[in-house]
Amino acid sequence: MLNALSPTSVVASRAFFPPLLAAGFLLLLVVLASLLYGAGPVSASDAIAALMANGTEEAWFVVTELRLPRTIIALVTGLALGLAGALLQSMTRNPLAEPGLLGVSAGSGFAVALAILLGATTATLTTLVAQLGALAGCALVIAATRVQGLGNDPVRLVLAGATLTGLLLALTSMLMLIDQRAADEIRFWITGSVAGKPLSILWATLPSITLALVLMATVARPLAAMALGEKAAVGLGHHPGRIRFLITLTVALLVGSATALAGPLIFVGLVVPFIARAFSGPDIRKTLWLCVPVGPAVVLGADVVSRLIAAPAEMPLGVVTALIGAPVLLAIVRAGRMPSL
Amino acid sequence: MTCRTHPPKQTLLRSIAVLALSAMGVGASLADTRSVETAYGPVTVNGQPERVVTLYEGALDTTLAVDANPVGAVITRGGSDVADYIKSRAGDIAIVGAPAETNIEAVISVRPDLILAAPRTNEQQYQLLSRIAPVIVSDVPMFQSDSWERETRLFAKALGREEAAEQVIAQVESRIAEVAALVEARIPEAQRDATLVRWMPQGPLVMAEGLFSASILQAVGFRIDDNDLVKEGRPHSEPLSLENLSSMDQSWVFLATLNADGDKALEAARQSPAFARLDAVEHDRVITVSGQLWTSATGPLAVLAILDDIEAAVTAIQP
Repeated sequence: MLNALSPTSVVASRAFFPPLLAAGFLLLLVVLASLLYGAGPVSASDAIAALMANGTEEAWFVVTELRLPRTIIALVTGLALGLAGALLQSMTRNPLAEPGLLGVSAGSGFAVALAILLGATTATLTTLVAQLGALAGCALVIAATRVQGLGNDPVRLVLAGATLTGLLLALTSMLMLIDQRAADEIRFWITGSVAGKPLSILWATLPSITLALVLMATVARPLAAMALGEKAAVGLGHHPGRIRFLITLTVALLVGSATALAGPLIFVGLVVPFIARAFSGPDIRKTLWLCVPVGPAVVLGADVVSRLIAAPAEMPLGVVTALIGAPVLLAIVRAGRMPSL
Repeated sequence: MTCRTHPPKQTLLRSIAVLALSAMGVGASLADTRSVETAYGPVTVNGQPERVVTLYEGALDTTLAVDANPVGAVITRGGSDVADYIKSRAGDIAIVGAPAETNIEAVISVRPDLILAAPRTNEQQYQLLSRIAPVIVSDVPMFQSDSWERETRLFAKALGREEAAEQVIAQVESRIAEVAALVEARIPEAQRDATLVRWMPQGPLVMAEGLFSASILQAVGFRIDDNDLVKEGRPHSEPLSLENLSSMDQSWVFLATLNADGDKALEAARQSPAFARLDAVEHDRVITVSGQLWTSATGPLAVLAILDDIEAAVTAIQP
């Protein structure tokens, strides 16, 4: 922990901007790919022609009304999940603390499934419900970290999360038995997808995402101080309890918004900070900055894959992110010594 | 089976006796024994079965159409009872399982003398059911335009009611001719292209050209083209990407939902800009139909009900 104060950190900070720029450039490429490629008959050259304003009406429609909205939604989802993962991991000092693995997404998912069953269709209601569910999930996670011996054992915390997720999934399955129409919707929604989602959902989540970003900006510095140990943070004039509360709130807002947008996507909150930390080192502020381009690039990249892999149908986005995320989880767990946070 | 245990001489005597009796015209019940060709070889059935269990929607349909007595049936897919279109005719029938899972105890409890099983009944299930009563598993290839007709004849033979079946089939054919004439009179040739889809939250399923209801649409003059989106031998495509919606852009779209609430499905579909811009939507040629009837059922009564739906839709159009 102390090497944050040692001269090596100066070297690390110098090496921080190239990866950030590279990630930004990669993100641009992925956005372009997302507009050019899809599961339908509109090819990349058709799409380019449409963007140059001399394509067919069909291509223009597909690019602007189908690919553009899902691109934007995937970007925001990736941003929210990446940041939420980084915050949660830093706060719990656990590299496996991922909203999906810990049951936060499942809590949010169960709440939305319940709302769908009760007939909810308006985007606003779903968002609010997803956030409340995520908040409840977060509260359970925090409670679990307080249980003796659980908080400082990353794998045991994940086991607790898996138990919670299993329970919530079972409850969700039970809801699906009640109503066939709701079951179809819930089944689709629970796998996770950004296809065909209207931009109105995005407008509904934007206020809470903005609020979460503001909250994050205020707690980033104290959170970095807490990485030096709670006593050090108190010594620097911070209040660990208040910081934890604000971060929990931020994570719930972010995960709830992401879940409302794309369903409970698992592993994104694990993969994104994992990649970001590889370049940023232990400083949470740098990690968060790197998550800004990396998160959207990962989710949008997964979405592009989901369109191409099963054309003319589409593979659900949640399946692709799980396929990417599972090896990362194994890599972290198998890396003998957990990277300490 | 029991014959095999008799000495040859006795068997011979018996055959002579049977021949003599039937020649005299008093052996009606014995002469009525017939062998039905099924997917698991010939099955022997006696007389007119009185207590029929149908483990397949098409079998229930045929059984009711030829006025036989079904005592047990399976629920329709995604429902909790037999399909709505047949409910009043089926009356208070015992439910003995779902399409893919038969409750053997329930089947035994209604004491069937004939079991009409689903085309995809596996060997193990077949053996089990055969211990209860003769089991008829259709050997008719699925998803072909005459599948329902051949199945009807097969089941009717097992039920000993072939004459009634021919009457029903003739009735269906004259009704097809009626609706076909209506279609020809009201819809110009160029506008008879149609597509049959099921709207799912993850995207539309395009139904196969050879699907039961698709072949009825074709019989009355519509052109159905699944654009090769459906794999050989499958009832429908995978849920399509919204980007592929334009490939189902025909003059007519028949939109099926598994629950009866078709309007809600149409409303959900309309919220998708890709659906709203289809020609059929703009020209108000989207017909919502019950998925229970259109994408799950088969049999002569189902044909008649589907023809009623088509007639109503075609009659209602504003030129």
